[in-house]
Amino acid sequence: MTLADVYQLWNSAWPAGATMLGLGSGFAVVLLIASEKLKVQVDPKIEQIHEALPQIDCGACGFAGCTSYAKAVAGKPALIGKCAPGGSETAGKIAEILNLQVSESGPAQRPIVHCRAHTEDKTYYGRYQGILTCTAANALPTVQACKFGCLGYGDCVSACKFDALHIIDDLATVDYEKCTGCTACSKACPRNLIEMVPFRHENVMTVACSNKETGKATRSMCKVGCIACGICAKQTDLFSVEDNSARLDYEKYQPNEQTETAFNKCPTCVIVYRGPSAPPPRQPKQKPAAKTTTA
Amino acid sequence: MDTLNILLMGFISIVLINNLVFTKFLGICPYLGVSGRIDMAFGMGMAVTFVVTLSGTLTWLIDHLILMGTPLEVTRYVCFILVIAGAVQLVEMYVRKFFPSLYESFGIFLPLITTNCAILGLCLFINLWEIDNLLEAVVLSFGAGIGFTMAICIMAGIRENLNLADVPECLKGAPITLITAGLLTLAFMGFAGMIR
Repeated sequence: MTLADVYQLWNSAWPAGATMLGLGSGFAVVLLIASEKLKVQVDPKIEQIHEALPQIDCGACGFAGCTSYAKAVAGKPALIGKCAPGGSETAGKIAEILNLQVSESGPAQRPIVHCRAHTEDKTYYGRYQGILTCTAANALPTVQACKFGCLGYGDCVSACKFDALHIIDDLATVDYEKCTGCTACSKACPRNLIEMVPFRHENVMTVACSNKETGKATRSMCKVGCIACGICAKQTDLFSVEDNSARLDYEKYQPNEQTETAFNKCPTCVIVYRGPSAPPPRQPKQKPAAKTTTA
Repeated sequence: MDTLNILLMGFISIVLINNLVFTKFLGICPYLGVSGRIDMAFGMGMAVTFVVTLSGTLTWLIDHLILMGTPLEVTRYVCFILVIAGAVQLVEMYVRKFFPSLYESFGIFLPLITTNCAILGLCLFINLWEIDNLLEAVVLSFGAGIGFTMAICIMAGIRENLNLADVPECLKGAPITLITAGLLTLAFMGFAGMIR
């Protein structure tokens, strides 16, 4: 590019720039006048609440985003505490802005994946080569033997805005250090495997399976599936067996000796701890004592 | 009398025969997005009418007074979008001030008028059809807005009644809306060729 070229380019470009500049400033003046004339008084509290919110627009509160939640909460203080990522800290700030006392809020909700089968535990009938999302894979019932377990294509991972979920060996695994409890993953899972559970303790015990088939069928397709033997339910009332799957009552859960026994006695080791400092799960023996019951 | 005739013909043409929604398939986004309730549809139609009239007129002026005199016609798109965006800002402020409930229910669709292709389309059509009379440009722009309002209001009326109709399960929601839009377009094809 010679100097003459630059000169020519400048000569043909400046009128366009000048025109745009002129038009732009003209509109700017008009809009400035209009914005002064048509000013809307916004409640300063809404602005303050909006600043106190995490401003990630995750939608856990049930509103479209932080802006609409701020507006709603200013009009209806009963909605304080709906912000899961902000937690009690944000709730306190909002209450301060609105001159209210915030009552003791419930425990934080955290997601629990009701499956613990990694690649080597699962049975596959074929190789899936379709679109790599769980929603698509879920439409093909025959690729993964277990119709209830984690598919491992990471719909929940892409829903997570906090990098708190990862697929480790075909199993969605929650990083509880990063999780804010925004419920996005539980909505994303096409198999409804991820349940929001109150974490009253640092680590919560769970039955990491949601297979509703009989124990024998479960055993045939998964090494770590719940076979509904009922051993855990015999230890403590906190466990119950419904629809061929054991379940823990998270509302009443208290770590005690009986739950520990249940944890240790579970023949398929499907009872595990979940939480930021969860002890590692027991590994099933090569040939666990086959004890199947029909429920 | 001759001028009046041309203006009237132009108006009818842009409202019925060359309706931007039905024959040019422009502005489909708000046409399907905001046509759930008839009052909202009418509000949207009015907002679009205002924006399209203002920007149609202004762009004609800018096109003829500034751009055509200098060899700047390539910047037409940018200038037109600038005008449209400015007009939409104006409408947004106005609606927010005087119709707050309407502002709430429009949500994102109000600023999205900026990207409503019916408006930019109309501004470019005025250029394409070689309209060299300001009055004609104003009437055409206004007519385009009225045509859009008519289209979206018809759609909203039908959709309000569709809520009560016994629609097959598989067609509920978006599918039946799209079928309705297609049928409406077919109906309006009956006007084709009436006026050139």
